[in-house]
Amino acid sequence: MAEKQLQCTAAAIEHQKAWFAQLRRDVFENQKPYAIVQADTPLELFQTMDVPVVSNQWWAALISAKRLSPAYLDAMNTRGFHEGLCRYCSLPMASTLCGDVAPAPWGGLPRPALLSARLTCDCIQRVLAIWAEAFGAEFLPLDAPAAAELPPKWWELSRYRWSELFEEHRLQFMVAQFHKLIAKLERITGRAFDLERLRCLMEGVNRQEEYFEEVRGLICAAPQTPVRMQEQISNVMAAQWLRGSEWAIAHARRFRNEVKARVTNGVAACPAERLRIMWVGAGLWHDMEFYTAFEAEYGAVFVWSMYLAFGPDGYIRYGLDDPLKALASRTVSMNEQLHNPPWANEWIVEQAKLHRADAALVLTPLGTRPSATGNRFIELALERAGIPVLPIFADMVDARTWDALEMRRKVARFLNERVVRRTIE
Amino acid sequence: MPIAGVTSNTVPSELLRAAGFFPLMLNPPRGPAAYADHFMEVGVFSARIRGIFHGITAGLWPFLKLVIIPRTSEQEHKLYLYLREIARQGLGKSVPEVYLYNLLHSRSAETEEYGFERTRDLKKHLEQLAGRSIEAADLARCVCESNQARVAIRSLLNLREGTEPRLRGTEALSLIGAAYFMDHAAYAQLAAEAGAEMEERPPARGARLLIKGTPLHHTGLHQAIESHGAVVVAEDDWWGSRCLGEPIAADADMVRSIFDAYYRGTSGPRAFPPEMADKWFFEAAAKADGVVFYLPPEDDVLGWDYPALRAALAQRGIPSLLVREDAAEGLSSECHQKIEEFVSKIPVRS
Repeated sequence: MAEKQLQCTAAAIEHQKAWFAQLRRDVFENQKPYAIVQADTPLELFQTMDVPVVSNQWWAALISAKRLSPAYLDAMNTRGFHEGLCRYCSLPMASTLCGDVAPAPWGGLPRPALLSARLTCDCIQRVLAIWAEAFGAEFLPLDAPAAAELPPKWWELSRYRWSELFEEHRLQFMVAQFHKLIAKLERITGRAFDLERLRCLMEGVNRQEEYFEEVRGLICAAPQTPVRMQEQISNVMAAQWLRGSEWAIAHARRFRNEVKARVTNGVAACPAERLRIMWVGAGLWHDMEFYTAFEAEYGAVFVWSMYLAFGPDGYIRYGLDDPLKALASRTVSMNEQLHNPPWANEWIVEQAKLHRADAALVLTPLGTRPSATGNRFIELALERAGIPVLPIFADMVDARTWDALEMRRKVARFLNERVVRRTIE
Repeated sequence: MPIAGVTSNTVPSELLRAAGFFPLMLNPPRGPAAYADHFMEVGVFSARIRGIFHGITAGLWPFLKLVIIPRTSEQEHKLYLYLREIARQGLGKSVPEVYLYNLLHSRSAETEEYGFERTRDLKKHLEQLAGRSIEAADLARCVCESNQARVAIRSLLNLREGTEPRLRGTEALSLIGAAYFMDHAAYAQLAAEAGAEMEERPPARGARLLIKGTPLHHTGLHQAIESHGAVVVAEDDWWGSRCLGEPIAADADMVRSIFDAYYRGTSGPRAFPPEMADKWFFEAAAKADGVVFYLPPEDDVLGWDYPALRAALAQRGIPSLLVREDAAEGLSSECHQKIEEFVSKIPVRS
């Protein structure tokens, strides 16, 4: 693993470990409830009710980073789940069902009080139902009507004019489902939901994302990127999972301060930076060294991923008179903004220009098909904008089919043939 | 009569017919799909969805005035978005209007109300396109014809039941699936004639099998199984035994009745909770001698159900076999051998 250049990165990682250790203590010793949820669920409602949440995708990334995914996924295949099924959202379930093949990270997930997911794809309801049964816990699905109208340049509407961006009936439906989730959380905690507390939390989320926006702006404007993509992800996601909390806001501020100081002092993540690369898709959690592998020879630095950039554009909501509806507008289209045309392709090209990207690597995860959609439109749009693209066919958590050496060779060939020559010309 | 293409079984054909449209199930034959190759990610979409995308984008069906895509699978939602994007960017030959019917399939008061409102929206949209309102009499007539087709299908399904089925699965799939491509009144008459003819046949002998898995818009798997002396007596599949479903209630609010039939009576990958989806399967399995699970390489959904369903069948003493190859492409000799061994070992219940 490349060295951590920012002090706040180490702090973020330490905080996550301590947070999870505390969660285990609270569950085992104090019988406190917690929940396992998909990343695109309304975490804010759980936060408001003081029910900690473990994001399915965060836990999948952690398992993968600990190089445990091959053992769990092989064990799932042995149990009869075929090898063509999605892996990103099911790896944590595998660590529960097949816990005997390898000890899970950090002591593993205790039994949750609740599991919840938006029914975006067709398989997540199955994965979480199986998982809930294994835990002997309840699964609460939030159904997901699809977007039929997708106005152009969504990021220009999402902060102030979010009610125009999403169809009213989808927002109303999501709010109705929020009420069911809230009722469930009230029963679990024995406490009443406080709408004012949600409003304050939403204001906190806005402040947090504003710090991230400053960081994004610093990366765009600085002559060389002050922070590597991997460290952007560590800092951003540690805060996003706890978004709006005092710690998350303070951490976002600390991250901003440190990046700003680096820019002021002319400190670059890679002083030899010559090429700025975008990574489109989820992180390659089982091989994070991949992202620094091209710095020495090519001065190629990964400057962009969706994790930092999506924060300000996807999360900020001004006008919180109706915080539930504002939250619905944040929740209802998360996948659509990142994976569906025209929203994903338009936004990523815009981001590529802002970040002065020289090239993009686009992940098509064959082991997680719903995350692969929209990629061809993204690739074609980037190429049309003059940004060379290398499609990467790999899975974000399954290391079994990843040939690290060959993939580095492939990227090197791409940089030589399509990027270096072009930037010299 | 203007033709409206639909992509699966959950678009209320009665509303389309009442508005003067002829609803046509889009089901292109497998073949080259250059537009899909260019715009759809490799290994992500099923061959059928790729074929539909290519057919529409390449302008192969210029007779289509409208395409209605339901929110019945995630792939269909993506198909809708991709077609919209092709039209927005002007990349296709001539993409007709594409409409998303946001029918949800989980069971709750909220989803039911949401789905009903979207059904009313669909009706309004069709009225706008037709330039006239859909009257109660129009709906009553179309529901009546649809119910005739539903009854006819029920009659065909009856010929597959019991210990002496008169109708083989390969024939049944073609006969039943034809309802998606024909006028319902004409279909009901022809299906009744076919049923009467088949009633006189000697019974089909062999192990009576149920198929569960990826929807079969072709007869490849049925043919393969029946070539080994078995009879496919049912399939948990909207192209076969789950086609159309029970007759639509003739209530005062006909739109509500139509919606109810599609919300409650249709099968699909997003039905939730799973007990509801599994109920039909276990009832059908109890009447069969064995079950063939069909999970071709393009499956990434029903494979999640397979281990539990297999275990539940084993508990009930019902043998099962898993087919992981694409039957539309033709099964390998190894797969044929597995089917033959499976069929030969099944004790046939009388």
